[in-house]
Parts: sequence; structure tokens; C-alpha cells
Amino acid sequence: MKTVDTQGLKCPQPLIMLKEALQGISIGEKVSIITDSDTSLKNLTTFLRDQGAEAEITTAGSVHTIVTTRNDSNMTNAEPQLYCEIDRSGNDYVVCIKSDLMGEGDPDLGKVLMESFVNNLKLQEHLPTQVMLYNAGVKLAMKQSPVCSSLTELEELGTRIVLCGTCIDHYGLQYDIGVGMISNMVVITETLAATGHVIYP
Amino acid sequence: MDERFDLLTTIEYGGCSSKLPAGLLSEVLKDLPLSVDPNLLVDVNTHDDAGVYRINRETALIFTTDFFPPICSDPFEFGEIAASNALSDVYAMGGIPLMALNLMMFSHNRIPMEVFGEILRGGNSKVREAGAIIVGGHTIDDHPPKYGLAVIGTVHPDKLITNAGAAPGDRLILTKSIGTGAMVSGQKNGLANNEDYRRALDQMKMLNRTGAETAVKFGISAMTDITGFGLAGHALKMAEASHVSFRIRTESIPLLPGAYQVFEKGSIPGATFKNQEFTGDRAHFTRGVDYNLKMLVHDAQTSGGLFMSVHPDLADQLVRELKADDPQNRATIIGEVLSESPRRLYFE
Repeated sequence: MKTVDTQGLKCPQPLIMLKEALQGISIGEKVSIITDSDTSLKNLTTFLRDQGAEAEITTAGSVHTIVTTRNDSNMTNAEPQLYCEIDRSGNDYVVCIKSDLMGEGDPDLGKVLMESFVNNLKLQEHLPTQVMLYNAGVKLAMKQSPVCSSLTELEELGTRIVLCGTCIDHYGLQYDIGVGMISNMVVITETLAATGHVIYP
Repeated sequence: MDERFDLLTTIEYGGCSSKLPAGLLSEVLKDLPLSVDPNLLVDVNTHDDAGVYRINRETALIFTTDFFPPICSDPFEFGEIAASNALSDVYAMGGIPLMALNLMMFSHNRIPMEVFGEILRGGNSKVREAGAIIVGGHTIDDHPPKYGLAVIGTVHPDKLITNAGAAPGDRLILTKSIGTGAMVSGQKNGLANNEDYRRALDQMKMLNRTGAETAVKFGISAMTDITGFGLAGHALKMAEASHVSFRIRTESIPLLPGAYQVFEKGSIPGATFKNQEFTGDRAHFTRGVDYNLKMLVHDAQTSGGLFMSVHPDLADQLVRELKADDPQNRATIIGEVLSESPRRLYFE
């Protein structure tokens, strides 16, 4: 295993050396980096976490050793586990939710189906770039909604959750929003017009 | 001077940041009693750029200060940058600088006195360019040196532009490129080319004067300048003060040439990490936002650009005029204002 000793060096030198080292090894190979600066330890760990890389830290006195594994091709993107999504041009899709019920018929059934749909959405291999919620659909993004946590997970994974502001005002839900950015019909129309693939559950 | 004194030799190699972390600062400040006065139009509550006090119906005073250790080798240039940076807070409120006091920490035992004079001359030249005057100052023996100014400006109380007026639907405009922290760090670590570094210095010396004048003419909703807390930190403060959220397209953000490459090589200053920690969960990054761009929105800026919120119908025209009034202005629409949403900032 390659070892990078940065003792005595101040930020950002250790990070420069770590990036160099990572670029010089293959995916799956490990590298260990030694620092005696608490600030550098914190910054290196933050950097690795942002890359989705592991960081095994051992500390002896004031000297810290971090062991990490190179996990992607160039260490530049924040979420390597989502790499496949970045270049999947042509596969982008938007989910447009216009009601808190799925399908027509028994509303109780519609509610169960919609909850199940949103909960399953986050498990898809190809996640939607955006989920737009309008009319009664915005109710799904309220704090008390059973799918609020699923929508939050989607947002964490980088899907844009867009809520119709007019709809939120209409239903008087301004203080109950749990997830998503409040936007307007201009943005919703532009997005729908620009997206080839829209799913209406 | 026979041989030019390099100011950067006075500061610790690769010193991370001279600014206290924003989070620590808010912790301490929240326990201090606030001054209450009906004429105090802007106080620390909205994290604005300066205090503003109304002295009569036509005039309010803008009062601000800023100082820091050397960020470049040349003393004259350091003076220019420090002065532009201090004056910027007046511009960010829509005001006009009136007069300034020099604040200097300098050890005559360790640095030739000519350097002292050069720094002051650099500062003076920028204050004059701003149409203001230096009326004195104060010096303390200290090393490494620090320089800056306390500045008083004026503004009509009704024309004051604060952090607090951004309205949903507004467009967000940034007038200077991001990346001064990156370029200073890149230069220190031998990772920036000279031409790019020069470009960064030139931008830091640029007054926000014409930008502010044009913005005032357009009656924009809110304005601040981007400095130590980075684009994300200052945008966050504006969004909080305005009770709104912002959507910002990272690929639209103007960047200094070379800044991205410096971050790509890992030369990310400690201040960037501090700023990232400060915005934390309040800033959301959509999938696919490039890591280096994510860090650049947290890059601490010295004498950065103005950040404005303006009615969507005026945005394109404002950008055109900002550029027409000043060819160096990099005015770009980088996002829009959303109604108050669960997160303050959405970077895409």
C-alpha cells in the first residue's frame, strides 16, 4: 500500500498530495495518508466522505493515519455511486404527480397505490431527474405525509423535488411542507416541455 | 526599495484562513445584547454588510469595516485589494462611500517602512477612485501585518438595499467571477499559472462601484457582496433574511480562469471546508453537481462581486447594462428565488 506522509505540512498540501496519490493508483487499491494536523484530518475526511469513499482513521498521539480505497475513475465527482446516472443521456425522465391518489376508483385504494408508487420510485435503478407535484399531489410532500421520507430520500439522492406554489397556497399548506422546492407553473411548464419522457402515475 | 519586499513571506505558508468560522461567530453574537434605536435601519440581525443609521429624512449613514493579512506579494496591490474589499460593503447596501480610516497592524522591526507607505498608497488610490477621502487611521505594532479600512458611506433611507428584499420569482445575478480563494491558494502551492493569477488580482482590485450604481437605478430587491463566507454562505444569509429559498445553477456561475483546475488538483483552502460546514444541510446539491463546483461555491472570496435579486422582467436588461457600464463586469444570471422551501439553497 502506498503511504503519503504529510506531517509538518499545512492545508491544503495534504489534500493535494492525497489527490495525486489517488490518481496514481488503480480502482480498488488502497492508500494511506499521514497527517499531524487536526484541520487537515477533518478536511481530508470531509473530502473522502464527499467522494463516497471510506476513511479508516487511526490516531497515535497527534498523528493521524487515514486509509482509503480508490473507488472511481477520476475522483472528481461527489457521488460516485451515482456515476452511472450522470452519463445516461437519453434515459432522463420526470415523474409528474398530479394527485395524492393513483388511478380512478376507490379513493382509499388510490391512496395506498400512490404511497406504494412513491416508495418504490426510490428503489429504481434509474432515478427520475425530477418529481413534480401539483394540485392535490403537493399533499404527498407535507411533513405528515406517509411518503415524505421517501421523497426526502429521493432528494438526498439528487432528484429535484418540485412543488407547485399556487397549489400549496390553495390548500393552505404553507407551514406543513416537509420536502421539495416550491416553484411555479413557469418552471413546471418549461421542464415538461424540455423533457422527452414524463411519467404520470 | 531596491528589492521589492514580498508580503506573502510574512504569513504562514498555506495558512488556511484569517476569518473565524461563521458558525462559531453566530454562537457568540447571539448572546450579545442588541442595540435598539428607531433610526437604526439595518443591524446585525439580517447578517447585512454594514450597519445603517438614519440621520434625517434624506440621509442614512452606512458604517462598515474589514481588514486582513496580506493575500498578495505586492504592497501597493495589497492596499488596493483591501480598500476595494472594505468599500464594497457600502456599495452592497446601495450607498456611496464618503470617508474612510486606515486600520493597520504592522511591525517596523520586521518589514521595511517603505512597505507600510506602499500599502497606504494602494489603499488611498482605491478610496480616491471611489470618490471618497481618507481622514486618518490607527496603527498597532503587530506581525504578520494586517490592513483594512473603516468606511462611512451615505444612502437615501428609501433607496437602501438590504439582504431582506428578495422575492419569489426574482432572478439572481452575480457580477464577478468566483475563485479568488482558489487562485490565491493555487499560487501559493505552485498550481496556478501567472496569467490566471494576475487576472484574479485584477478582479479583486475592481471596485463594485458601477455595479452598485446600476443596481440602484434598477430598484433591485436585495443585494449583498460575496466575501469570506463564499457564494453559498452569503446567498444563504440573503435567503434567510428574505424568508425565501434560492435555486442556483452551478454551471452558470462565472469562474476565474484556472480556479476549477486548482481545486481539481486538491488545492482547496481550509476556509472552503469551514464554509461548507457552515451551510451544511441548509444547502442542497442535486445529483450530478460536480465536486469541484460544489467546493467553489464555498470558496472564500476577497473583494468578491455583488449578488443581486431582481424582478424577472428587469433581469436581462440589468445584466446588459451592468456589462455596458463596465466591460470587466461578469454579470450573469445564476439562479432564481423560490418561495420559502425546506432548504434554503438548492444547487443544481
